[in-house]
Amino acid sequence: MKGITKFMKKPWFLGILVFAMAILVIWNIPIEKRKYGFSQSGLATDYTGLLPERIEKVVNVHNRNELQRIVQEANKKGKHISIAGLQHSQGGHTYYKDGIVLDMRGFNRIVEINKQAKIVRVESGASWEDVQEAVTPYGLALQVTQSQSIFTIGGSLSVNAHGRDIRFGPMAETVREMTVLTPTGEIKQLTRDDTEEWTTYILGGYGLFGVILDVTLNLTENEVYTIHTKKIETEKYESYLHRVLENQNIAMHYARISVAPGTFLDEMYVIDYNKTKKQDKTTSLKEEEGVRVSKFALDLGRKGGKLEDLFWEAQRLYINSIDGKTITRNNAMRSESTFMEFTTPGRVEVLQEFFIPVDSYEEYMQSLKDLLPHNDQDEDFKVHNITVRYAAKDNMTSLPYAKEDMLGLVILVQHGLKEKEIAHAKTMIQKWTDVTLQYGGTYYLPYYPYQTKEQFKESYPNWKSFKKQKAERDPNEVFVNLFYDHYMK
Amino acid sequence: MQNKSERYIPLIVTVGQVVIFPYYIVWLKEVSFSYTLFAWLFATFSFAAAWGYRFFQSRGEKPRSLIASVYVAMGVVYIVVGYWKLPIEYLPYVALMTQIILGFLQGYFRAWHTKQRSYHVHAINHYLIVGVIMIGLSFMKVVSPSIFLTVFGTILCMCGMWEVVRGFDFKMMK
Repeated sequence: MKGITKFMKKPWFLGILVFAMAILVIWNIPIEKRKYGFSQSGLATDYTGLLPERIEKVVNVHNRNELQRIVQEANKKGKHISIAGLQHSQGGHTYYKDGIVLDMRGFNRIVEINKQAKIVRVESGASWEDVQEAVTPYGLALQVTQSQSIFTIGGSLSVNAHGRDIRFGPMAETVREMTVLTPTGEIKQLTRDDTEEWTTYILGGYGLFGVILDVTLNLTENEVYTIHTKKIETEKYESYLHRVLENQNIAMHYARISVAPGTFLDEMYVIDYNKTKKQDKTTSLKEEEGVRVSKFALDLGRKGGKLEDLFWEAQRLYINSIDGKTITRNNAMRSESTFMEFTTPGRVEVLQEFFIPVDSYEEYMQSLKDLLPHNDQDEDFKVHNITVRYAAKDNMTSLPYAKEDMLGLVILVQHGLKEKEIAHAKTMIQKWTDVTLQYGGTYYLPYYPYQTKEQFKESYPNWKSFKKQKAERDPNEVFVNLFYDHYMK
Repeated sequence: MQNKSERYIPLIVTVGQVVIFPYYIVWLKEVSFSYTLFAWLFATFSFAAAWGYRFFQSRGEKPRSLIASVYVAMGVVYIVVGYWKLPIEYLPYVALMTQIILGFLQGYFRAWHTKQRSYHVHAINHYLIVGVIMIGLSFMKVVSPSIFLTVFGTILCMCGMWEVVRGFDFKMMK
């Protein structure tokens, strides 16, 4: 005891103690520091924070009777309702001026898992992570979900999201049954042969045709895959992908295109997940790993120029390091997301996604090279990442982005928040959209709407029928959001 | 007879630190994100204060050593916290640095203060003055905590400068 007291009296010992404590604190400073959503001084925003709006109130939803009463009352009183989950949609899809926001996050029960039938019934406010946690012990996995598991079921189905799986078609096709609350306050049980076509409008309906209460999703085995990675030239990707699609042994696939000045749009990394025919029941779900290192590398890349070249090289090292490793299906469907946090004042980082027919990819990339600066180090408009995913033809939803088998290019863009900087970003993205449309492509609607109404109409020729159905099924315009105002009014 | 520096400046520093504390806490809470981090930042402060205290003692208790620098350094920290508009990305790291620096300086100052002849008088006056000021502040509509932090930081810097000038005069007289 005496020894300890003596020790503690030494100034150098106390200095070391302070240093150790400082390291502990640094390690525990969260990566995600931004606040968004309903917490900002009575103004609602979503992940970009670009469209702040005052709302009437937020209702935390816990049961369907309460929901039904709110919708019926809104019909009578002429109120507007928006539906919010985790608010990762970035174009004001989850709120409306002076409207009521249904916060669905509390509506998140896993109702039933049927191991034999390989189905899960779940409430729409649950996240994919909740479902993964519930089905993994049964050796089961989702057929289609995004590559990250941070979104709610209702949100993902409302935007008909897609991910790394190349075998099960669009996400909407994995829905076996669904219970919905229609805009007039009626609760309907829908199956795949729904004669009234509610599923057509609710799946991929951006929250405008009612509330998804629960869904029954098809599952598959939580198979073990081996990861295969490779660096290839962009001009060889089209033929590479055809080989991937023909090879039934490959279950999942995605790729990443270089936006580093030295290899700008010339190089790609491809990542395939090959089947091993082994089912996994014991491997636990992975947590976020290496977040600090990934964020540090991404932040370097965000500076542009040589640092972006360095970031591309760092990705090479990482991608080489996972080559040959095994991973379960569920773990392949829950990539890290925290490291993407962006908090530079006066700037914003947003997502856009362009879809291009598979066979037009090569020519499209050539056109993009003419449009985008090879080195954006000193530019306000910076492109930091382009990931490529396969999106199979969608016959189910009313506003399909995949009118044929497409490649989705997910773009991470950074730009300033001054009026002229936003205007410049808008111009750039509109030009990008024009190029996409020239090749028979489309753009994705869950993101900030930089595009014009004309570009929307050209991308989604079915918009008239969508609008007509909206008027018929929701005559009092109960379900609205900023996205609806922007494109449909 | 006591000189004015010895009589007033330590009192200004002790009273000022307690009065400014609620504003500093508001700032620290905002940048901490979680209670755990908030508590750990205080633990760091506490360890650093122990270090500062011991550091003074280990230097042989020279009566005036470094105290002017301590005032100026404390002042600079408060000015940085109150005045600089730092990106949210860096704030927790800055908070950690300020906790270490302030803790160390406060420990050093306290160790030095206990050796002063006026320490016990200051202790009583300190409580009385803090009480009166806090009652006064409760009636004020606070524009922004940053104003108080910056003003207090400036006062500390001025105290430090005063000590430097006085020390210089003292040497010249000798």
